[in-house]
Amino acid sequence: MTTLTGQPSSEAIGYSFSKATSAPIREHSFYPYTDNGGSTLGITGSDFAILAGDTRSVAGYNINSRYAPKVFKIGGDDETGEGAHILLSVVGFAADGQALKERLDAVVKMYKYQHGKPMSVMACAQRLSTIFYQKRFFPYYVHAILAGLDEDGKGALYSYDPVGSYEREQCRAAGSAASLIMPFLDNQVNFKNQYIPGSGEGHALEPKKPEPLPRNTVEQLVRDAFTSAVERHIEVGDGLQMMVITKGGIEEIYYPLKKD
Amino acid sequence: MSSPFDINGGACIAMVGKDCVAIACDLRLGMQALTVSNNFPKIFNYGPSTFLGLTGLATDVSTVSDLFRYKVNMYRLREERNIAPQTLANLVSSSLYEKRFGPFFVSPVIAGINSTTGKPFICGFDSIGCIDFAKDFIVSGTASEQLFGTCEGLWEPDLSAEDLFETISQALLSAVDRDALSGWGAQVYIIEKDKVTKRLLKGRQD
Amino acid sequence: MNHFPEAWGRPRDDVYGPYNPSYLQTTGPKTHTQSPAVTGTSVVAVKFNGGVAIAADNLASYGSLARFTDVKRLRKFGNSAVVGFSGDVSDMQYIDRLLESIDIRENYSTHGNTLNAKNLHTYLSKVLYKRRSEFNPLWNHILVAGFDEDKKPFLSSADLLGTTFSAPHLATGFGAHLAVPILRRLFPDEKPAEAVSRDEAVAALRECLKVLWYRDARSLDKYSIAVISEAGIEIEEDQQIEAQSWAFAEAIKGYGAQVN
Repeated sequence: MTTLTGQPSSEAIGYSFSKATSAPIREHSFYPYTDNGGSTLGITGSDFAILAGDTRSVAGYNINSRYAPKVFKIGGDDETGEGAHILLSVVGFAADGQALKERLDAVVKMYKYQHGKPMSVMACAQRLSTIFYQKRFFPYYVHAILAGLDEDGKGALYSYDPVGSYEREQCRAAGSAASLIMPFLDNQVNFKNQYIPGSGEGHALEPKKPEPLPRNTVEQLVRDAFTSAVERHIEVGDGLQMMVITKGGIEEIYYPLKKD
Repeated sequence: MSSPFDINGGACIAMVGKDCVAIACDLRLGMQALTVSNNFPKIFNYGPSTFLGLTGLATDVSTVSDLFRYKVNMYRLREERNIAPQTLANLVSSSLYEKRFGPFFVSPVIAGINSTTGKPFICGFDSIGCIDFAKDFIVSGTASEQLFGTCEGLWEPDLSAEDLFETISQALLSAVDRDALSGWGAQVYIIEKDKVTKRLLKGRQD
Repeated sequence: MNHFPEAWGRPRDDVYGPYNPSYLQTTGPKTHTQSPAVTGTSVVAVKFNGGVAIAADNLASYGSLARFTDVKRLRKFGNSAVVGFSGDVSDMQYIDRLLESIDIRENYSTHGNTLNAKNLHTYLSKVLYKRRSEFNPLWNHILVAGFDEDKKPFLSSADLLGTTFSAPHLATGFGAHLAVPILRRLFPDEKPAEAVSRDEAVAALRECLKVLWYRDARSLDKYSIAVISEAGIEIEEDQQIEAQSWAFAEAIKGYGAQVN
C-alpha cells in the first residue's frame, strides 16, 4: 500500500486515538495586537490646547489608508462632534484606540446625563486612567493624550501609557516618531538648554524660562515637528490633522503632508 | 538592549554650514545603565581640518581610532601631505568592509574641509563601511533617532560659523537629554577654512 | 474487515501517517482557531461616482489545494450593501448566518430594513473586535461596500483584530500589495471618487483580478463582481477573466522550472 506521508509501513495496521496524548500541548499562535504606526502631538497655551496627529494608517510596510484620523472629539454629537469640550488622541493599535475612544465618549456622555453638567477635564483624565488600568493584564495597546481647558480656562494636557500612568504636561509627543519630535519640543516649547545671553559668567548663565506660547507659534511648531518627522520616519505622512480647543469651541485644521 | 552598539552609549553628529562644518559628540561612557566616565570624547583628529567621530562599542571606538591614527600616519609619510576628508572617507569605508563578517561595532562620522577645494565635507557610515554622503547633517549613536528629530527641526542651509555652533549644540544637547545612554557633557568642533574652534559644553549631569 | 470497532472510520496510520493527536486531545487547555483552514484570497473594491464596485474570485483554498472553485465570497445585505470576505471560509459562513438573522429580524420588524452599509460595517467590526478580545478570532478580513446614512458611497475594511479603516480604494490580502497600487495609479488623490465613472471602476477591478490571477497562486480566473449604486445591487457571480496574456511569463527567470 502506498503511503501518503512517507512513513514506513508497519506489519500491523495502526490507527490513531485520542488517548495517544504524548504530543505537546499546542501553543496559542494568535497575536491580538498590531501596530498601525503614526504619531501624535499635543501642546498647551494659556487659553488653548492643540492636539495633532498624522492621518496615515499602516500595517507593516503597507499603507492601509491616507486618511484615518487619530484625534477625536469626546462627549459631542456622534457624527459632527458638536458640543464636545474634550479631545483625545490615540496612537498604536488602532482597533484598541477606537474602542477606547468610544468607551471614554460614552463615559463623558453618561456623566452629563447623570450629573447635569459637563465632565471636567481633570475628572475625565482620572477616569481615562481607570479605564486603562481596568485592562491592566490585557492592555489597550495605545499611547493616549487627552486635551481640554481646565477650571481656570487654561490649556490642559494629560498623557498616558498603555496601562494608565498619567501626568499633566505642557507638551507631549507620542507614537512611532515620538523620539524624533519630543527633544525638539523640549528645546522649542520648554526652552531646554537655552540660556539668556549675558545673564552671567560661564556656567552661572540664567536659563530661559518657559512661558505659554501664542497660538500661531504653537501651530507653526506642530507643523514643523510633523514635516520633520515625515522626512525621517516612514510611518508618518499623508496628512496632518490639528484640533485646537479654545473657550470658543473646537477648531479642526487639515494640512497635507508628503505622501511618499 | 544587548546589541554591542548600545552597551556603552554615546552620540555623535556632524553638520554643514556656509564655508564651515561642525562635528560634536557627547562625553558619556557607560556599562549598560551605569555611567563609568564623563570624559570619554568620541571625536578624533586626523589632519588640520579632518575629524572622525566614532560611536558604538567603546573598545572598538578606541581600537578603530588608533587604527586610523596608524593608517593616516602611514599615508602622511608616504604621500608627504595631509589626508583629505574624502580620502579618509574611502579609507574608513574600505577598512570597515575588510571586516565584513566580523565587524567593528562602530558608526563613524567624518567632518572636514577639503584643503584643495575649500569645500566643506561630511559623511557617515554603517559598521561595514557603506558611506552616506549627506549634504546637511549626519547623526550616529544611541541618540540617533532623537538627533534626527532635532537636526531636521533646527538645521537650515548656509548657517554661519556662529549660528552653526548654536544649532549643532542645541540639537545635540536636546537630543542626548532624551536618551538615557548619552549626555554628561559634550565637545563641539567648528571647522572653518583656516581655523578650528573646540568648545566644551556642560549639559545636564544626569 | 477490522475487528476493532473503535478503529472504524479512523484514518489508517500506514496510509495517512499517524494523526496529530493534539487535535483529538480531550484534556488540557481549550484551544481556539489558531490558523485558518479553508481560505479565500483577495477582495478588491473601489468607489465611483454614485456607488461602489467590489469583486472577489470564486475560490476557496485548502492550503495550496484549490479545494472549492465555486464559492461566492460577496454577500448581499438588504439592497444597499455588499460584504466581501477573505480569510477563513467557515468563519465567513458563520458571519453570513449572523447577517442573515439580522436581515430577517429587520425585515419582520415594523420599521423595515434601515441598516445601511456603514451600520453593517460598525456591527461587523465590533463582532470581530469582540472575538479577538476573547482570543477566539474570526479569521477574516472583510470589505463592506454600499452607502452611508447620507446616501454617499461608503467603502470600509475590518480585519480579524477589529482594525478598521476606509479609503477610496481598498483590497485585502495579496490585493493590498498588487491591486491597491494599480487602483491608486488609475484613480489618484487628485481624481476623487466623484470623477470616476462606473464603467471605469468595473474595468479597473477586472484588471486587478487579472493581475491577481497572474501572480497570486491562491487565486482563480472565475470571479464575482458587484456594483452597488442608487439603482440597487447588481451582482454577477460567474465571471471569467478575459483577454489573458501570459507572454510576460516567458521573461520570468531565476526561480521555478526555468533557472537560467
